[in-house]
Amino acid sequence: MHYERFGKVAAQAISWICVAIASAVLAAWLTRSIALVQIVPTLFAMQFNTSLCFIATGLAFHLAVANTRRPTLAIVLSAAAACIPLASLIQQIFVVDLGIDRLLYDPFVTVGVDHAGRMVPNAAICFILVSAAIIMTAVRGRNSLARVLCGLIVFVIASSALLGYVIGVESSHNWRPLAQMSPQTAFCFSLLAGGLVFIGAREREYPRSTIAAMLAVVTYLLLLLFAYMEMPHQNALAENLQDDGSNPRSTLLGIVLLSGALYAGMFAFSFRSSQLYRDVAGRLQESEKRLAAIIETAVDGFITIDARGKVLAVNPACEKIFGYRADEILQQNVSMLMPTPYHEAHNQYLENYRITGRAKIIGIGREVEGRRKDGSTFPLDLSVAKVELDHQVIYSGIVRDISERKKYEKDILEANAELEEFSYRTSHDLRSPIASSLGLVGIARDMIDTGDTQDLKQVLGRIETSFRKLDHLIQNIISLTRTKAMEEAESRIPIAQTVRETLERLHYMENAERLRVDIAIDDELTTMRRASRFQIIIDNLLSNAIKYQDPVQTRPEIRIGATVNSGNLVLTVADNGLGIEPGTEHHLFQMFKRLHPQHSFGSGLGLYILKKSVEQLGGTVAYNRLQAGSLFTVTLPEKNHHAH
Amino acid sequence: MRIRSILTVDDDENDLFICAYTIRKFDPEVKTLKAMNGREALVVLRTTTPDAIILDINMPVMNGFEFLEQYAREFSVHAPVVAMLTSSHLGSDRGKALSYHFVKSYFEKPLTLANLRLMSELLDLSSDPVKRPG
Repeated sequence: MHYERFGKVAAQAISWICVAIASAVLAAWLTRSIALVQIVPTLFAMQFNTSLCFIATGLAFHLAVANTRRPTLAIVLSAAAACIPLASLIQQIFVVDLGIDRLLYDPFVTVGVDHAGRMVPNAAICFILVSAAIIMTAVRGRNSLARVLCGLIVFVIASSALLGYVIGVESSHNWRPLAQMSPQTAFCFSLLAGGLVFIGAREREYPRSTIAAMLAVVTYLLLLLFAYMEMPHQNALAENLQDDGSNPRSTLLGIVLLSGALYAGMFAFSFRSSQLYRDVAGRLQESEKRLAAIIETAVDGFITIDARGKVLAVNPACEKIFGYRADEILQQNVSMLMPTPYHEAHNQYLENYRITGRAKIIGIGREVEGRRKDGSTFPLDLSVAKVELDHQVIYSGIVRDISERKKYEKDILEANAELEEFSYRTSHDLRSPIASSLGLVGIARDMIDTGDTQDLKQVLGRIETSFRKLDHLIQNIISLTRTKAMEEAESRIPIAQTVRETLERLHYMENAERLRVDIAIDDELTTMRRASRFQIIIDNLLSNAIKYQDPVQTRPEIRIGATVNSGNLVLTVADNGLGIEPGTEHHLFQMFKRLHPQHSFGSGLGLYILKKSVEQLGGTVAYNRLQAGSLFTVTLPEKNHHAH
Repeated sequence: MRIRSILTVDDDENDLFICAYTIRKFDPEVKTLKAMNGREALVVLRTTTPDAIILDINMPVMNGFEFLEQYAREFSVHAPVVAMLTSSHLGSDRGKALSYHFVKSYFEKPLTLANLRLMSELLDLSSDPVKRPG
């Protein structure tokens, strides 16, 4: 905005200066004062026609360049102003007299020209070019390349003439003898040309400083050329008489000074720009570093691709997420990071977006699937932004591996389903023994009422088993909640002793005494565990073996072993009991699965509790069918990885 | 029409005992058959078709619903009255069971004489298709 206003003010100033100078000359011509000619002869080197043309051109310049408001008037003025120089030029070239020179005014004096009142050829060319440039500006309403070129030519001609006055190179303003471009003419043309070149330069975005430097250099070279051509002539002149100061020495000195000034100017300019450049480069580097630090250390992956899908940049997080090294991804198509069918369709997506402009993902972000180097796929969150640079469009994507989150979601859903199953089953299984007891109490009362008491004892026994069943279930539920919730410190547990004590405690169980027990555990073997959880594991393994012994087996037995194997504690409990039916193994460790038809005493929670407890200690439990019976193997890592 | 035979399917011996006692109390003439899970029940049903079945839901090996599914698929002739007998009411279970045309009723444990009287009435209705409740 500031620049625009400056341009406007400069354009107005240029046009008014031109009009003022030309008007002054015009006035001087009209006074017809010989005295004035004697004082400032150079004033009259600008012919009457020339000053008239300057007034018209100055006004046209104001209208077209400074205001751009009344283009038609500007065109008319410029065209009128161009007629006189055009005619002068024709007269000059074809050596004819069309009467233009003295048409409007009959000059009373002739300075610097061979024909009285005739516009000099260099001024005529300048007028034609300036008028052409103004007409172009008026028609198009803005700066154009042709206008800049016209301005450049005029500027070089006029400024070299002006400088020629300063350092005494006559041919720079007198292209041929007696065709002098007066200094005020040269000055006005320099101003007008400068305005044509530089006003409105920003609209066209060309390098102003480069053009200015180029102008200076071209003007200088042109001046040098004139001086070179003039030198022999000046030498000859110098030997005769010295009058107007145009001797070779002063000309040379002038040129040296001019060269020095030009060189100093350029040096200062280049020094300043290099400093500016260093400054800007430094700041740019710093901001780049800052940005790079953010991207390099980000947990999320950053990928930049071009409009065809070629990967331009990736950050370290990306390498980690996808398992590729950066150099394996760079320059490749980004679809390599996608599984089928996205892999095949991605180019089409980009093409569709290019054609329709309808974004399916840009600026929205969504959950997609990624493909790692090893071929595995994983869910990821992707958001994409479109970045429009000067020469191309690129897309910047941010990816986040959400497999962990997805896994947790799945775990939570599973836990929730398990909880629902738990509440469904407990509501049923807790009431079941109570319902039975109520029924049995009713029967007992009926027996007493009818006096038929011989089976009463049996009914009471049944009531007792019902309550035992209920008690057992409640105990199981308690131990299950304890497995889940309890925090406990580890202690050193002697394994063989624990097994023996547990067997003693379970002796009350039905047919427990029938079993032959074989404990093959080193008495010295101990383990660092949370004691109550370890106890739950041993309890369930042993009570399971006792409960599901085969009643028709004549020599029922349990073999219990414990060894340390490659850093793991391996507990084995083998029996020759009922085993389980083939095909039902997958139900074995599930909640509330009872697999034995004749033994309904179990709560259906025993092996589930076993599995949960083992998992809490970071271990695994496996079932193997034996020829007769079952083998349960519990493996616990000796270096405790506590799973919570 | 009197009930002559009932198959009781339950994995809990106490519940089987209660059923047998209550049925004897209701009518000593009724023959009571026993099965401890769905699969055993199917074995019994391959040789005979009782007038009624009293069926538990939660059982090992083959539960009540698995049994109903197979019974509907494999058998063309069904017992006229099948009654579910379970320890807790759950809306979804009830609807699921009653979607089988031969499942006529849904009782909560323990089995009572009133339950058996209702079953007897249902048997009367089903022998006369016109009066079938709907």
